[in-house]
Amino acid sequence: MSEIDELTGCWDYDSLPENVVLGKDCFLERKHSFARFRSRKEAGLVLGDRVRVYTWTTFNVEPGGSIVVGDDSILVGAVFMCAERIEIGRRTVISYNVTIADSDFHPKDPSIRMADAIANAPFGDRSQRPGIVSRPVRIGDDVWIGIGAIILKGVSIGRGARVCAGTVVTGDVPAGATVAGNPGKLWGEEAG
Amino acid sequence: MIPGHDWFPRELPANVRIGERSWLYSSFALLHCVSRRQGAVRIGNDSGIYQGTFFELGPRGEVWIGDYCSIVGATICVNSRVEIGDYALIAHEVVIADSHWSVPPPGTFGVEGAAADGPEEPPAIVVGRNAWVGARAVLLRGCELGEGAIVGAGAVVDFRVPPYAIVAGNPARIVGWATPKDGGGKG
Repeated sequence: MSEIDELTGCWDYDSLPENVVLGKDCFLERKHSFARFRSRKEAGLVLGDRVRVYTWTTFNVEPGGSIVVGDDSILVGAVFMCAERIEIGRRTVISYNVTIADSDFHPKDPSIRMADAIANAPFGDRSQRPGIVSRPVRIGDDVWIGIGAIILKGVSIGRGARVCAGTVVTGDVPAGATVAGNPGKLWGEEAG
Repeated sequence: MIPGHDWFPRELPANVRIGERSWLYSSFALLHCVSRRQGAVRIGNDSGIYQGTFFELGPRGEVWIGDYCSIVGATICVNSRVEIGDYALIAHEVVIADSHWSVPPPGTFGVEGAAADGPEEPPAIVVGRNAWVGARAVLLRGCELGEGAIVGAGAVVDFRVPPYAIVAGNPARIVGWATPKDGGGKG
């Protein structure tokens, strides 16, 4: 296998960890998208049929995290930061530089965060890192997520919703709604 | 800690100092650094500066980083001083800019010029000790994060943030407080 193959989807998908479950006819453009996949869950990543994963997507999954993506979804540049659970529906399209995180990855309390900074130093003892809060993210079917959006922990996005470019989504988005801005605000509801 | 893992074929500029047990991913981070200050980049002990961080410093640019800091991926584009306190956490794709400097044209790296050392001026941007800056936040001139302050993902900040305040949004505003349960402040 050449370096070019690893960038153009022509690599051996069976070389992925066993807990990556692929549907029929998936396209995984760049092998490096999976370099930070560290899930130890039985089904750490489940991609439905015909899911397409392009170059700019990365699956950063912690040992306790798992991701499921429904049939026919397209991940152009989804940066997953997953400590627990992220679910993406069917026919959902995620654009460039979209961050989806189910945790903030550091403690909110300043004193505990200081301990985290010490444990996380280049030669620190990572096993001493304090626990982190995580809340699953659920994104429904037929959702469009625009360039550079950020989806934060605990968010549910309903079927057919649209997230405009650059939106920081901090709360739930109803089905069919359009959300924009930082913090994200509803623009108006459409027929779901 | 740069020899050994650096893949970029250029020496680290002499005015970059890295403390003990600290990690800088590559001298590539200094690709556009033309600072002539004596301490252009000072990194304390036990701090990690990771892939995707860039020091785009003008002739008078300085970045002083404390101990136990993690800078996952920030672009620091200044022609003045940025101070980052001990235990600060800075996430990926953060931009820190004083609007006084832009990337120099190709070929001007390291060109000699008037020494830029002069009287110390107050820092243009401060990230306080134990502060936490979320992914893709933007810190502009006048941003002064107090101890333990938290900046939410994608927030744009150009003002003084009190200790332990949580700011978010564009423009950012105070949305809450994270006061240490034990009184805080200890190492």
